This record gives sequence, structure tokens and C-alpha cells, in this order.
Amino acid sequence: MSFAFSFLFPWLLALLMIQCVAVKVKKPPHGWRLTTILAVISGIIAFLPVGGLPLARWLVGINANFSFPLVAVVFNKAWEHASGSRLFDRQASMASWVFGLYSGLVLYPMALGLGGFDPYAFGWGFSWLFIILAMVTIAFLLIKNRFAAVLMACILGYDLNLLESQNLWDYVVDPFFVLFSFAALSNRLIRRMRKPFSD
Amino acid sequence: MSRRAVCIAILVTLLLYAVPWWRWHSASDREAPKFRLNKSFDPIDRGLPRITEEFISGDPGSRTVHVSSICEMEDGRLVACWYGGTREGARDTAIYLAVRDPGMPGPWSAPREVVNRDSASRELRRYVKKLGNPLIFADSRNRLWLIYVTIAVGGWSGSSLNLKVSDDGGRNWTPSTRLTLSPFINVSELVRNNPVQMSDGSLAVPIYHEFLGKFPEILWVREEAGGFRVRKTRIAGGRSFTQPSIIARDPCCAAAFFRSCSDERAVGRATTMDAGTTWSEPQHLQLPNPDAAVNAFPISRGRILLALNESLRGRENLQLALSSDNGATWQRVARVEEDKGAEFSYPYMMQDSHGRIHLVYTWHRRRIKHVVFNEEWINLKLQGASG
Repeated sequence: MSFAFSFLFPWLLALLMIQCVAVKVKKPPHGWRLTTILAVISGIIAFLPVGGLPLARWLVGINANFSFPLVAVVFNKAWEHASGSRLFDRQASMASWVFGLYSGLVLYPMALGLGGFDPYAFGWGFSWLFIILAMVTIAFLLIKNRFAAVLMACILGYDLNLLESQNLWDYVVDPFFVLFSFAALSNRLIRRMRKPFSD
Repeated sequence: MSRRAVCIAILVTLLLYAVPWWRWHSASDREAPKFRLNKSFDPIDRGLPRITEEFISGDPGSRTVHVSSICEMEDGRLVACWYGGTREGARDTAIYLAVRDPGMPGPWSAPREVVNRDSASRELRRYVKKLGNPLIFADSRNRLWLIYVTIAVGGWSGSSLNLKVSDDGGRNWTPSTRLTLSPFINVSELVRNNPVQMSDGSLAVPIYHEFLGKFPEILWVREEAGGFRVRKTRIAGGRSFTQPSIIARDPCCAAAFFRSCSDERAVGRATTMDAGTTWSEPQHLQLPNPDAAVNAFPISRGRILLALNESLRGRENLQLALSSDNGATWQRVARVEEDKGAEFSYPYMMQDSHGRIHLVYTWHRRRIKHVVFNEEWINLKLQGASG
């Protein structure tokens, strides 16, 4: 199961990259017919054998566990290009960025050796991490934030062992998602700071 | 979203979280397992101090060999493995294995390649740039386990661990399984020293992390239907100690000894009283360590034997030391090797079913040396030192 699932992120990424190129050359990739064609092309790219390995598996060689929120971010952007509408509204985007940055700050410094406490150890089996994530998901559901659906997908993926990792942390966060969240939040903060001066 | 849809979504969320809770609740290993102590021995040469030396690997020409480990199968066969290539971290590095049939003395088989980067890449279905540290051991069901390092990007800090198992003494192996042990793109996990068997059949394998931090950890591996269940706990954080070697004294108490990578060039030690769940803060011992691997092994009467490079700078000697107080204080037993400017490194010890202690180590980076001695030889050396 995890082997087949490992093609999803590279395929979505290839699709998004092609869509971005199309936007750059002033040919917006709107419409389902065009998107289907681009999706097929992306699939061919993902499965293209290079040096005996499908191109997607080269990306897996760098990171085998792309988190569900990162997959959702890429999927959301590809959907936006295809349909012109967003799955993530502004609140959901903000929730995902804050969640990504906060998770990264909680996990990485300590997991990489800062102090004796390792939060990554709580992603195996069942622990307070699962309870906290369940409560966060329910809180997002109660305020009707669409990011809750992504968090539900995380635990569903974990239950189905969709990633190579057996640790729940790898389903909810990865370094690329943290970097993306940091960049998005910084960008928003800078825009906000500039706004009063431009008014 | 309607109120009803929210309620259904909350219910679904709770059900999704109930799955891992149920797995945990119904798992037999919910209680932390205890250490399983070493088997008793059947000494065949009691009373006679013995030591023999030989090389396992032949002259490799311009190639280097490094990081050996050894184990005994139920039928008395010895199995050793190490990595070799044109240099450390070269792309042609492969994991080699040699076997020696029971009944000493007898020749070791010609080294056989178990994994190279092409086969690892094929089995793991991803790019592998190079291979590194292998660890071989036999489990309670007489199967061989091989845990080894692969690197896709960068140097040793880009390492990931992989696992293979053999049911037939190393002739055939399962395809490699990648172990995900680090949240940061699963890099910087390495293995070195002897695993410890646990009461529930699982294994505690000492591993270490070296990326931003350098610290010792334990990989807990348990075989389940259709694969392996892994988890990892930390012995200590920071940047001072790596390559733990764990010695269990009783089902709950153990000591771990570390390679020191701080300015304080001395072997580190930490202890646990709850079978590896928590560890004391590591302390430096009065044993010098030139940022080189150490290997500890439990022998009779609760004593611990330690193989180390007794130097502050180089790896030009190999020393055996003995402790009778769980590693707090040490007596020098014997200097196994000494040659100025040479390298004798990465010792690894194992005790066979006859009580003989097998020490393997890197000899000048060109060959793997195998030294066999018994506890009578240790006692004789200690008497000589005290007399």
C-alpha cells in the first residue's frame, strides 16, 4: 500500500509544476479536459524510468514520508489551477500554516537533539500526541475550519499505513511543510506590515 | 457545514483515533519488556587460559574494510560481517559476510557480498549512493539479522537504517526493509553495537544519531505478521556521546557505554533501572577515548569487559578493561594491539556457547582481525597485573 501511495505526492507535484509553467506562458490551465491531459502527462513523468527507477522513486530517495498537510497544500493549489476555486479558504490556509510552523517548532529542535526529551518517540503506538491531535481536529471541526479534513486524513492514513513510517508525526508534518508554512506566514506578515504605509 | 455534518465528522474522527488506541490496548507488549539475560555456557576448556588470533578477511589489496560484527548460530557456526570498498564511504562499498563452521580451528569461508548499492537500491526501490555500518546478529529463533546503513545524500549524517533477515544462515536474505526512525527526512541514524534480547521476543538495538546533535538511542524492533514494528527511544540528548554499547545486569538494570565526541576525551556511561525506558545523565569515566568506538560485553560473575582505544588522540592501540561494579571503575586486562601510527578500531565482542569470547576489529583498515580468548585468560592477565 505504501509503495503505491508513494507515487501520489510526486505525481501531484509534477502536475502543479506543469500548471505553473502553463501560467507563466500565459496559458492558464483551467478546465477539466486540460487538467485531465496534464494529469496523464504528470503520471507519465512520475512513472518515467530513469536509471532503472521511476522518477517518483528518486524523490522518495530524498524523502519517503511527505506529510498529508503538504500533499493537501499541493493538491489544493493544483485544484485551484484546474477549477479556479479553492478547497482551502483563507481560514484553512492560515490554520495549516500555523499548524505546520507550530508542529515543526515542537518537533524538530528536540527531535534533533536539543535536550533529553524526544517528542518523536510519542508518535509510535498510542500516546498524548494522539489525544492532542484528536482534540485539535475536533476543535477545527467545531469552528468549521476545512483544515480539519486534512487532520482527519492524517489519522486515516496512519490507520491504513499509507506511509513507510510507522510514526504519526510523519503523517502530520515534514520539514518541507514546515518551511512552506514559515514562508507563507512570513509573506503574510510582511504584507500586513506594509499595508498601513501603502494606504 | 451543518451541525449534523459536524457531529458526524467528530464521530468519524473519534473512530479513526480509536483504531490506534485499540491496537495499543490489545497489544501484548503494552507493558515495557524486560532485558533477557545471556544464556549459560558449556565451557570446553575450563581451567586452561587460551588466546588465538587470525584474520577473517584476506589481504584486500588497495581496498579498505571496516566496522565488523560477529555472531554464533545455534549449530555453532560463526558468522562475521563488515563493509569494504576502495575507501570509507566510496560508492563501491559493499557489505561482506564470512562463515566459519563449528570446530576450531578451521578456516573462514571466502567473504561473500551480501548487499551492494545496486542491490540495496533495487530492494528499497530508491536511489542509494553508498552503504555503511553493518551489524549482524542471531535471534532466539536462530535467524540472522542484518541491519545496515544506506546513504542517499551527503555523508554519514545522511544515513538511514535498513533491515534484512536470513532463515538459512546467510545464504538467502529477505529484501531490505527501510526503517523510518528520524522525523527529519529519516536521516542520521546509524548502528554499531550488540543488540539486547528482550523478554517479549523483541530486540533493543543500540543506535545513534549524528546530524545537528550527536546522541545515543535505542531501536526497539518487534516482528509482527507481515513485517517489523519499530520504535525508538533516546538515551541522552546533546552532542557529546554516540555509539552506545548496552550491557544488561538483570532484567531491569543495565549500563550503556559511549564513544565520546566532546572535548572531554573519555568513555561515557549511563545506567537504567527500568529496562531502558529512562537513563541517568551520562558521565565521563576515567577511561580515555579518542572519539572512537568502544564495545562492552557481559561476562561471568556480573563483570563487564570493555574493548577500547586507550588513547586521547589516535586508534593505535586496542585495550581490554574489566569492571566488577557495573562499569563505575575499571581494571586494565591486556593490550591486544599496539603499533604507533597504525589503526585498530571498532572492536566488537561476542561470547559463544562454549564461553569463548570472540573479538573482531578493524586491523589497519585493511583486514578484519579475529581474536578468541576465554575467561581463564582474562583471569590470568588480571593476576599478572595485580602480581
